[in-house]
Amino acid sequence: MTTISRRHHLWPLLPLACRLTLGVVWIVAGAAKVTALDESVRAVRAYRLLPDLAAQIVGAGLPVVEILLGVLLLLGAGVRVSAVLSALLMLAFVIGIGSAWVRGLRIDCGCFGSGGELAAGEQPTYGRELVRDLALLAAAVVVALSPPGPLTLDRFLMTQKMTRKENS
Amino acid sequence: MTPTSTRRGRSGRRKKVAVRSGARPLSPWTVAGIIVLLLFAGGVGFGVYRAQQPSASGAPAGGTDTGIVVGQADAPVTVDIYLDFQCPACQAYEQRAGSTIEQLVASGRAKVVYHPVAYLNRFSSTRYSTRSSQAAACAADAGVFPQYLTALYANQPPENSAGLPDDQLVALGRQVGAGGDFPTCVADTRYAGWTAAVTDAASKAGINATPTVMVDGTAIDTTSEALLAAVQAAGR
Repeated sequence: MTTISRRHHLWPLLPLACRLTLGVVWIVAGAAKVTALDESVRAVRAYRLLPDLAAQIVGAGLPVVEILLGVLLLLGAGVRVSAVLSALLMLAFVIGIGSAWVRGLRIDCGCFGSGGELAAGEQPTYGRELVRDLALLAAAVVVALSPPGPLTLDRFLMTQKMTRKENS
Repeated sequence: MTPTSTRRGRSGRRKKVAVRSGARPLSPWTVAGIIVLLLFAGGVGFGVYRAQQPSASGAPAGGTDTGIVVGQADAPVTVDIYLDFQCPACQAYEQRAGSTIEQLVASGRAKVVYHPVAYLNRFSSTRYSTRSSQAAACAADAGVFPQYLTALYANQPPENSAGLPDDQLVALGRQVGAGGDFPTCVADTRYAGWTAAVTDAASKAGINATPTVMVDGTAIDTTSEALLAAVQAAGR
């Protein structure tokens, strides 16, 4: 804790930047998929990891979950929980993409829409997708380990609570 | 300094320290609340997806639930072609292998099952993949599917355009001899459920690219030579 809060002291804007970046990415990724849930389901199927009903639940549920996580992070509400869940999701994506790569599948990750299909002559870009998701995973971990940064609903509510306690 | 102001000053410092050190109440209620909220959001997505699934409609004439069959039903070899009328590579394949396919079908050595999937809707502003697939099913009803396929490829709209409007889909059908209620069939999107079913079945079968060509269930290269060789090998 001490190390982290010291780092936080040195880089006061790092957790803020990580939180906002992660929030925006979630909203962009969710919005790109939420208008075409059938595509999103196909993209999950393309990984060939889940039984079909599970692929339908994940494919159709994930876009809405992503948008909600993005909103929570941008508002700064329940930041630590949202960040931990973001990190877990990113970890799942990294495992999924890595396994597609290892198994030699030729798919699009479907991260920002598309039904998992590659266009003609398009090569998979697993490396780039993994680097991006690992960076976002790191960002989520930074947010999860940092105290509530500036511009969060969490900090606002906490300050209110403390003030109330002291005044009573 | 009055006692009151002293107390305030000290409490202000304490507040700051508490916030800095990361000591914040992570109540189980927050954790549970957010998880329930997210599960609910996921459930809404799944519910919407299930509600969006069009009810199953029948297959067009000469078709099955997953495609349109061209050729003699008892042909010894089955060629499956997964295509999207918005896909330039599918058009190119038709140009490369179209005459070979025609000969194989005409000689009775193979039948072809066309699966017009709606994979590439994101490449048009009007869901052209879906609309063209539905129209192709209407053309099958009118008995002119092979001709209509050629006409659609010949008039393939560029990617990221609005696609062909419905009246042009109807006009192309008329040009290749689609009569009867072809215009009504296109306008009423009679085969919306069928196109969705064809697309879903292809996705479940692990088809991730168009065109995908299979001979008796095995994917082959998308060249006319590979098609000829595979049909010859399978027909022996």
